[in-house]
Amino acid sequence: MADSAQVVREQDPVRSVLRADGSLAGDPRRALGLTPEGFVDLYRKMVSIRRADQEALNLQRQGELGLWGQFLGQEAAHVGATMALEPTDWIFPSYREFGMAMCRGIDPATMLTVFRGLTHGAWDPRKFHFAPLAIPVATQVPHAVGFAMGSRLEGSGEVVLVTFGDGATSAGDWHEAMNFAGVFKAPVIFLCQNNYWAISVPLPRQTAGRIADRAAGYGFPGIRIDGNDVLAVFAATRAAAERARRGDGPYLIEAQTYRMGAHTSSDDPTRYRTAAELEAWSSKDPIARYERWLRAEGLLDQAGVDGIGKEAESTAEKMRTRLREAPAPDPGKAMFDRVYSRPSPGFQQEREEFESSLESPG
Amino acid sequence: MAEETFRLPDLGEGLTDAQLVSWRVQEGSTVEVNAPLCEVETAKAVVVIPSPFRGTVRSLHAKPGESVAVGAPLVTITASSDAPADTERTLVGYGPGGPESGVRRRARSVPGAAADNAGDVRAAPFVRQLAREKGVDLATVTGTGPGGRITRADVEGAAVGEGSVSAPASASAAADGDQRISVVGIRKAIARQMVRSVSTIPQFTEFAIFDATRLLAARAKAKASGRPLTPLPYFVAAVVRAVREYPLLNSSWDDTTDEIVVKRAINVGLAVNTKNGLLVPVLKGAGSMDTNAIAERATHLIEGARAGSLGPGEMSGGTITVTNVGASGPVETGTPIINPPECCVVAFGAIRPRPMVVEGQVVARESAWISVSVDHRIVDGALATEFLTRLVSDLERTDA
Repeated sequence: MADSAQVVREQDPVRSVLRADGSLAGDPRRALGLTPEGFVDLYRKMVSIRRADQEALNLQRQGELGLWGQFLGQEAAHVGATMALEPTDWIFPSYREFGMAMCRGIDPATMLTVFRGLTHGAWDPRKFHFAPLAIPVATQVPHAVGFAMGSRLEGSGEVVLVTFGDGATSAGDWHEAMNFAGVFKAPVIFLCQNNYWAISVPLPRQTAGRIADRAAGYGFPGIRIDGNDVLAVFAATRAAAERARRGDGPYLIEAQTYRMGAHTSSDDPTRYRTAAELEAWSSKDPIARYERWLRAEGLLDQAGVDGIGKEAESTAEKMRTRLREAPAPDPGKAMFDRVYSRPSPGFQQEREEFESSLESPG
Repeated sequence: MAEETFRLPDLGEGLTDAQLVSWRVQEGSTVEVNAPLCEVETAKAVVVIPSPFRGTVRSLHAKPGESVAVGAPLVTITASSDAPADTERTLVGYGPGGPESGVRRRARSVPGAAADNAGDVRAAPFVRQLAREKGVDLATVTGTGPGGRITRADVEGAAVGEGSVSAPASASAAADGDQRISVVGIRKAIARQMVRSVSTIPQFTEFAIFDATRLLAARAKAKASGRPLTPLPYFVAAVVRAVREYPLLNSSWDDTTDEIVVKRAINVGLAVNTKNGLLVPVLKGAGSMDTNAIAERATHLIEGARAGSLGPGEMSGGTITVTNVGASGPVETGTPIINPPECCVVAFGAIRPRPMVVEGQVVARESAWISVSVDHRIVDGALATEFLTRLVSDLERTDA
């Protein structure tokens, strides 16, 4: 469980609440403030986003999506972090946070239209307090810090969570944002989903130190947690959010997890990593271990598991149908509508030329 | 129940083809949505393709080991009624539905950069350093990277004396400016069929010109009565009549038994030029059709071939082929190559005025060339001449 004031030291262990075998390393029930339904809901959401993730990969293989980046294995980080926040807190995602978007209530089919090439941003960020996906590595980090500063100046009480991978911690943007956040005590949580692979670059080739330790250099705490333990992610995020809301500034959470799938649908991970490594991480599957604990606690039985599985199946099916029905955008509108609030005559002329070129092909 | 053809999608951001590794289904299998259909290997990864439809597999369009172009049919499934309606497609890849429906394909990379930089070594600093370390002269290395760039693998290959390492997967440019184009899909099928033809069939070609005055008069009359026809149905009908008289032209040579198999059905292949290459849809049962029926069916087949919407059943089973040459441009005729295992291919040239001798006078008459290539194992020159003579006299007597 996160001690929010502490900077992780060299000998600090990776914090977890649930052990890999599903037994308890500490008692989370009081500390987390979750009801029995709340505990089950974390499970439901992990199952649901995993099934939808698999369906999205299928859709890519069937030519319905241009690209897909699976988050298989990272469900605990997605669900634990999102559910620990207030719905009004903001999330700045990278490109793999489909599960977080689903937890925020964004329609998964709508979200997929981005990967179908129908739109650059399918949802209203202000409605869901969920920023557009950031495809370039680490660009969302300074955005999030700037937004958090705005929140502090406005006194809105909204905390910002920005998530990124281990690879992003090598980017200049990341360091600038971390530094700025530390100096100005921005109410921001830096959630690193350290999944060990930046495409085909393994962690030891990415950084010589520990990611969590880097927070110390910028004057705020960092913690390493078991990112496949949904309760540990929940606890750490909740603690970091409370701290930020109190005005005590940023927090870095290094959630150690593993990307079980390929980097994206265009990648073949068997070319750079071993089956043994995959096997080792399979035993830490975030859903399986949490399910064992829920069953042992009497919070979930077979009927519950089956029901949740069916729900996830139907969500995935609906997503497939709705995606296939998604209308194609009007190219003129898509390209020109949201560039200027008051288009210049030259811009207007460009638009007209473009639209007339569509009418007379060739 | 609707027939759905699933085309190979672009599985990895700009791929042009994939090699079929294995099928997980066979013709007649029933499949659920997302059930594994097959395994393919792209330039990037080995990938299992899940079925987009629930239904029964009708036909598999490729064999293991074959290369399938992105957008080419992979499998046809008779889908159960709850299959998604094929509404307006907005795909980035291919997948279910057709490539004709507003799909934007990525252009193949256009080689040429290397030629522009002839004599100039293109390599990243890292590769240059590697070359220095390994004592490799970059000027002697052929680059296989984008635009002829020298890659790490090229240098490593040169260091162990192998030269450039991997074969290019698609169009690429060598340092000398030559372009290498990977052959997949229709191009590959044409190549295989043509090699088979010239390497197994001893063939010869005979030529004739026929007077098309009466044929054009018949066309004008048909047009006046509201049935505008191209010359093609007249040609096909004449070939069918000639074949009835000379059935040996509608046959094939059986290599395994050294027998001639004379076909009962007259199925006329129609060579159609499409943007993807030459296709030969087959007009089946032409022996029992009149000119109008032939016209109707031929139009369907030609349009289908151009749109890529024909099923495999409509592209096979031909017994004789009709083609045309010089529909536009100055070309008079050519030497068509037999479409194996057929025995005969007939090429018609363009109808245009030519000087002809009529009753001792040179006059301008509407006319066209016919050339006939035949399998000499089956047909000798004398028979080919009789067949061609019959075709000419038939077309010259065309009834309005």
